[in-house]
Amino acid sequence: MGWVCSYTPLELIHAAGFLPYRIVGHSNPVKNAHSYIHPNYCQFVKSSIDVAIDGGYDFLEGVVFVNSCDAMRRLYDVWKRYIPTKFVYLLDIPMGDSSLGYKYFRDEFHKLKVALETHTGRIIQAEALERSIILFTKSRSLYWKLNSLRLENPSLISGREMMDLTDKFFKSDPKVWNEKNKDLLEEKREIDPENHNPRVLLSGSPIHNIEFIDLIENCGLNVIYEDLCTGSKFFDLDVPKSKDLLMSLSKAYINRSPCARMMKIEERASHISKISQKFKIDGIIHHSLKFCDTYLYDVPQLKDLLNEKGLKVLFIESDGLESMNQLKTRIEAFTEMIKN
Amino acid sequence: MNDKSDILKVYFTQMVDSLKKKLDLKLTARRKFIYEIGRIGARIFNDQWSVGWTTVFVPYEILNSMNVSGMFVEFFGAMLSGTGMANKYFEIAEDKGYSTDSCTYHRAIIGAAMDGLIPEPSVLIGASVPCNGGVKALKRIGEIFNKEVFILNIPIEVTEDSIEYLIGQYEQMIEYIERETGRKIDYNKLKETIRYNNEAREYVLEMENYCKNVPSPANSNDLKNFIMFLLLQGTKEGVEVAKTYRDEFKHRIDNSIYNLPEEKHRLLWIQNRIQFKTDLIEVLEEKYGANVVIEEFNHIWWKPMDENDPLRSLAQRTITQPIIGPVERRLKVIAQLAKEYNIDGAINPAHLGCRQTAGARVLFKDALQKVGVPLIHLDVDCVDERNYSRGQTLTRLEAFMELLSN
Repeated sequence: MGWVCSYTPLELIHAAGFLPYRIVGHSNPVKNAHSYIHPNYCQFVKSSIDVAIDGGYDFLEGVVFVNSCDAMRRLYDVWKRYIPTKFVYLLDIPMGDSSLGYKYFRDEFHKLKVALETHTGRIIQAEALERSIILFTKSRSLYWKLNSLRLENPSLISGREMMDLTDKFFKSDPKVWNEKNKDLLEEKREIDPENHNPRVLLSGSPIHNIEFIDLIENCGLNVIYEDLCTGSKFFDLDVPKSKDLLMSLSKAYINRSPCARMMKIEERASHISKISQKFKIDGIIHHSLKFCDTYLYDVPQLKDLLNEKGLKVLFIESDGLESMNQLKTRIEAFTEMIKN
Repeated sequence: MNDKSDILKVYFTQMVDSLKKKLDLKLTARRKFIYEIGRIGARIFNDQWSVGWTTVFVPYEILNSMNVSGMFVEFFGAMLSGTGMANKYFEIAEDKGYSTDSCTYHRAIIGAAMDGLIPEPSVLIGASVPCNGGVKALKRIGEIFNKEVFILNIPIEVTEDSIEYLIGQYEQMIEYIERETGRKIDYNKLKETIRYNNEAREYVLEMENYCKNVPSPANSNDLKNFIMFLLLQGTKEGVEVAKTYRDEFKHRIDNSIYNLPEEKHRLLWIQNRIQFKTDLIEVLEEKYGANVVIEEFNHIWWKPMDENDPLRSLAQRTITQPIIGPVERRLKVIAQLAKEYNIDGAINPAHLGCRQTAGARVLFKDALQKVGVPLIHLDVDCVDERNYSRGQTLTRLEAFMELLSN
């Protein structure tokens, strides 16, 4: 079952008997999407349409979309109309601070549950959902244990390796992923005494292409934390124990460190600052996808907030691999600036 | 108040005075409408009212009944564009780092707020619908004035639970307004706004019904930006404006007074108009005998409201708004308007920077094709004239009109 946004309750999809599979599009020039959607949409939306139109997602039983931004809502519309898919669902998500949001999101999860049950003809039993919650909690716990290797200075694991693990998680059975990666914890890792690279935190729009991480690390930086829904932030979620499992999930997803769509810019800035202290971050790279309103609108204010906290930040905007070479010069200059 | 917002006060005062003089010379529905909207603008400098900046779909009835002068950010962006003042504010926002790909309705007010043009608000209320950009603009204004932004999350599906959820949020919103302004809600006054709304609704329905006449009694600009009528919702003035329009259109039909007696093409306008000055409408009317007879956003979609259950009525109206959620509801309304108004062609400016609407342009085309109505996308920025190419836009529009003529 395909999904596109980190506010999708993967546990519920898994409990319904599906393997959640993250749709990521591609990082190449857009081919056909402009015939379906306006060109002023982000690379993620356009490239996802490209892949789907070419049949690249035909193996999916369905896709669960989230009303997480204006572009995502239109992606849902275009997908539903032009890409034959058995199950297409739009999950609503509250924004803002109202305490009423927990119940609303719980009800939204319930509606998704019913829709999945109707589609499969199978009831999602509470025990199955509980098992899925335990399984995903195990994955998150494993991720954080591995991620703690990045607390070391120099880091014992590269940004590339962590992003590769994350990327695999998005496409694998969590059980298999857990099995496969638990041995990584036992691996003996030695500090590279030559690695004096500055430590950076990545924030902003989703980054789906690992080459982006390569670009940054090849510029002499170590990526230590991804405040991205495609990186560390994805795993930053705790499901509280309660008899009402859907309410537990609702609280877990709403209370996670917010993405820009949740309109909590001060909280985002504080979170970045807190993580920067914990992981001894030297600089922050904030990346916005071109046409990604959600993150782009935050840039000027976030710049002020992070500067007030004494953090060094590079703000970049790109639309995929096409602009990589231009970015390289800016990242190299930022590296020099941090080193001085 | 600072020197710059004084400029705005003088601007609104002079505008209202000049509109009043025109109105006294000759009462027309359009003049009455613009005059009342101008008075809403001037109201933000009246001590009897608290100032509220909002996004477009918030319940103005509640605000009006609490003496909070609500004004939506897109209205202000459109006004700056229409008066030729917007460029300065785009540049201020862009210099600060706001993306040139963002919506210019929002970029204009962000720049204006940064420059001190707008007076300090008492409340800031943003709704999750229609777009994220409006709420982001309010967040910036909130940061400038150190004010909390109250966010209404509008559910995308119409169910009893979702209506209850929105009612609960309206109650929290009222508490927020009371806290920030010290003004208590008067439910009798709120009831009265619902009565006014129902009355105005009937007149608008009648008026729009007259526009279905071939030829239409309205010219292309009579109802331009009628979405601003939202600001008059629940007021006596709103009823007067709607009645004046109804009477005027009835009079025109009764006496066969038409701007285009031989209306060759009847057009539907999708989303908003181009806000800066262009001659596109003149070209459409004069060269092609074409008339914009209905704008998508002028459509009345809600049922009469119950004054004894105002919050529920307002929630029902909001949740059933066609622009909410998946595009299906909106497509249905567009196709319905095309049929009811005997439309020959549709124009979608496809406002650059609007992630809410531009992405549905292929779906608009499909939906209208099914009812035999061709559609043109202009791909213009409706607010920022800096990159407007008259020649290019006109060429596209003229090619479309030739197609309709054949």
